[in-house]
Amino acid sequence: MEFDQLWQNALSEIELQISRPNYVTWLKNSHLIDKQDGIALVSLPNNFAKEWVENKYYKVILSVLRNLDESTKKIEFTVTNKQGSADNLKKKISNTVSKSQLAFEELKIDPETNLNPRYNLSSFVVGKSNELAFAAASAVIDEIGRKYNPFFIYGGVGLGKTHLIQGIGNEIKKKYDNNVRVKYVSSEKFTNDVIYGIRNKRMEDMKEKYRNVDVLIIDDIQFIGGKTSTEEEFFHTFNALYENNKQIIISSDRPPKFIPTLQERLSSRFEGGMLADIGYPDYELRLAILRTKIQDRGADLPENIVEFVANKVQKNLRELEGVLNRIIFYQQAKSGISLRAVEEIVNETIQQPTKNINPNQVIKAVADYFQISPNDLTGRCRQKSVVEPRQVTMYLLRDILGLSYPDIGLKLGKRDHTTAIYAYSKLSGEINKNQDLNQKVIAIKDIIYKE
Amino acid sequence: MKLVILKNNLRDGLNALERTVTENTNLPILKNVLIRTFNNKIQLSATNLELAITRFVSGKIIEEGSITAPLSTLLSITNNTNNERINLNVENNTLLFKTDNYEAVIQGLPEEEFPIIPKLENISNYLQINSEILKDSLSKVINAVQISEIRPEISGVLFDFQVTNFKLVGTDSFRLAEKTINENEFKSTFQRGFKIIIPLKTAQELLRISMSEIVTIFIDPNQMLFKSDDLEIISRLIDGTYPDYEQIIPKSLETDLVFEREHLVNAVKLVSTFSGKINDVKISLKDGKKFLEIYSANQYLGENKYLVPTKAKGKDFNVSFNWRYLIDGLKNFSSQEMVFGINGDNRPALLKNSADNSYFYILMPIKS
Repeated sequence: MEFDQLWQNALSEIELQISRPNYVTWLKNSHLIDKQDGIALVSLPNNFAKEWVENKYYKVILSVLRNLDESTKKIEFTVTNKQGSADNLKKKISNTVSKSQLAFEELKIDPETNLNPRYNLSSFVVGKSNELAFAAASAVIDEIGRKYNPFFIYGGVGLGKTHLIQGIGNEIKKKYDNNVRVKYVSSEKFTNDVIYGIRNKRMEDMKEKYRNVDVLIIDDIQFIGGKTSTEEEFFHTFNALYENNKQIIISSDRPPKFIPTLQERLSSRFEGGMLADIGYPDYELRLAILRTKIQDRGADLPENIVEFVANKVQKNLRELEGVLNRIIFYQQAKSGISLRAVEEIVNETIQQPTKNINPNQVIKAVADYFQISPNDLTGRCRQKSVVEPRQVTMYLLRDILGLSYPDIGLKLGKRDHTTAIYAYSKLSGEINKNQDLNQKVIAIKDIIYKE
Repeated sequence: MKLVILKNNLRDGLNALERTVTENTNLPILKNVLIRTFNNKIQLSATNLELAITRFVSGKIIEEGSITAPLSTLLSITNNTNNERINLNVENNTLLFKTDNYEAVIQGLPEEEFPIIPKLENISNYLQINSEILKDSLSKVINAVQISEIRPEISGVLFDFQVTNFKLVGTDSFRLAEKTINENEFKSTFQRGFKIIIPLKTAQELLRISMSEIVTIFIDPNQMLFKSDDLEIISRLIDGTYPDYEQIIPKSLETDLVFEREHLVNAVKLVSTFSGKINDVKISLKDGKKFLEIYSANQYLGENKYLVPTKAKGKDFNVSFNWRYLIDGLKNFSSQEMVFGINGDNRPALLKNSADNSYFYILMPIKS
């Protein structure tokens, strides 16, 4: 600020001593960027200006600066061409590009930070299920690296984790005016960089890239589990940043201790900071999100349709967006939409891929997960270590396959249908309160769907 | 200054500088060419403060000196004069242009008012390449570049030099072209790689101006120099980081079409006559995947279609492209047979030559 003031004063005097065109051409975009030991460093927009000013106006500038600040002994010039550089080359783009021409979306990503400018916090709709994560995110932005470090966000697919963490990155960039170096990376990219580094013996590049930041954001950390070299490299990167009070932000689809292959030393570190979960959105939040998205697109939908969609699409916000896109498309194409058409679209979109799953697969998956034999599940044993898995099995058979209660009882050792009813209602209630249980169920579902 | 110079030499020299001069209300001298004697040669220079081109031409120097004079005037009288020998004399800021039966007195300005052309600081390391190869490679990527005021970093050609390979890349975010120059086609003393972005205008001038066989490239943090026997082109570099474009390159192709290039170029040109405001032509497979149909329709004119024989592998499709983008890409190839890879109607398609993977062109479809 002080430099700016000094330079403005100097410029107004220099302006009097040289001709107007010369002033505009050579000195208009100049700045005083540093002053130490009597040496003033002046930046100019291009090399031509540098040559010209250095050769022609050195004495003028030096004497003006000296009048304002006696300590000035010498001036050095440098070139920084930040903006407006394409001025002379401006030309009208002849064929105006139509809106329907698709563009490479990836090119919009900021190459330095890897952040997609599309995600920002102001478009993040806050509700009961994500308010904790959002509050913590705001705190992280205000006090980078000090308050919650590392900041670990977890939650299911399509609930807005990526939006939130990229939003944090973009917000930090905006708030600190690019003075804080942010880097966003998916764990897949991180792994690829490690592989590249090892293969080309360029690990130094990799270290420089990731340790030279103030905020490191890693998305979907669960995927580095089990990749030994990547975990090792990440561990060291983590430590290097953490020790220097650099902010680390991590997202995952489940809490650290439930990432099966993640090494203990990493998961314990993750738990040392702030853990925040993003849960399934409640009805009000879904409604709010839908309304925001409709507004963003400049569309208009009848209230009963919006409410219907918010009611039906419950688990995945990406699905919610997909359904909305199709509804809007339908509305534009056919100029109008009925509730019936919406119902069809919703049903088509949110169908679960249940066709290829049979009850035995479910039983086997549960048994594998709890490391017991499938026979235990169907057997008579009533130890706690078997009862819980058995109830989970019943719950899943009902939840995924929609089997009837008598059928479930029959499949699990000819039990009474009331046992199945009891297990299902017990778990349905508990699953929303007990995070541990919820995680187990999600992990088992993963196993089932992956097969 | 007193010179005798052959018409052709002067004309060629001025031609090289022609597009560099600009009208600048603040600095009218920018429309002038600097003429001076230097090392027994005649130096001609012009600049627009982003780019400076200097050409040395031979002639007989009777008396050393310098002047600047309006380039367009000088070029036009040089072009139209009949005599082979031209005398150029400077007297008090006027340039006397004289042949056997013609004489012109041109108002000039002294050299002291002409911008000083910057020098490069790092000339110890260089990259040397055959100028034909450089021009050929540049011409293959340049038509994908467009000036964007919002995104200066893609308003130029990326020179991505990584010691063992050298890539040129251009994009306007709707299509992207990448040309790799093989390791044995250049010589370099750089130990480390660099990525620089050359302004489109500089690239256009490089293509336009004739130069000798070898061109040497020097790099400074914010400017670069192309040097060939009688030519020096100094240009600023675009400040910014080129986007990480590699993630755009399709890793797999849903449909693989092999066809004869000329045939498709003609088909697209012909069919485009009926295409609408958004320049769209629709492409699909017909007749048991033996033919590629190119189709366009216009509600006022009517419709037309063309069948090009092809060898297709993979999924059926129905995708629209901007025909200009498609032709731009097709024209950048020289092979007879080539491959068009399509990935449905909302992911990038790829043009390549199956025998030569040093070049490819990617383009995005138009949403139908």
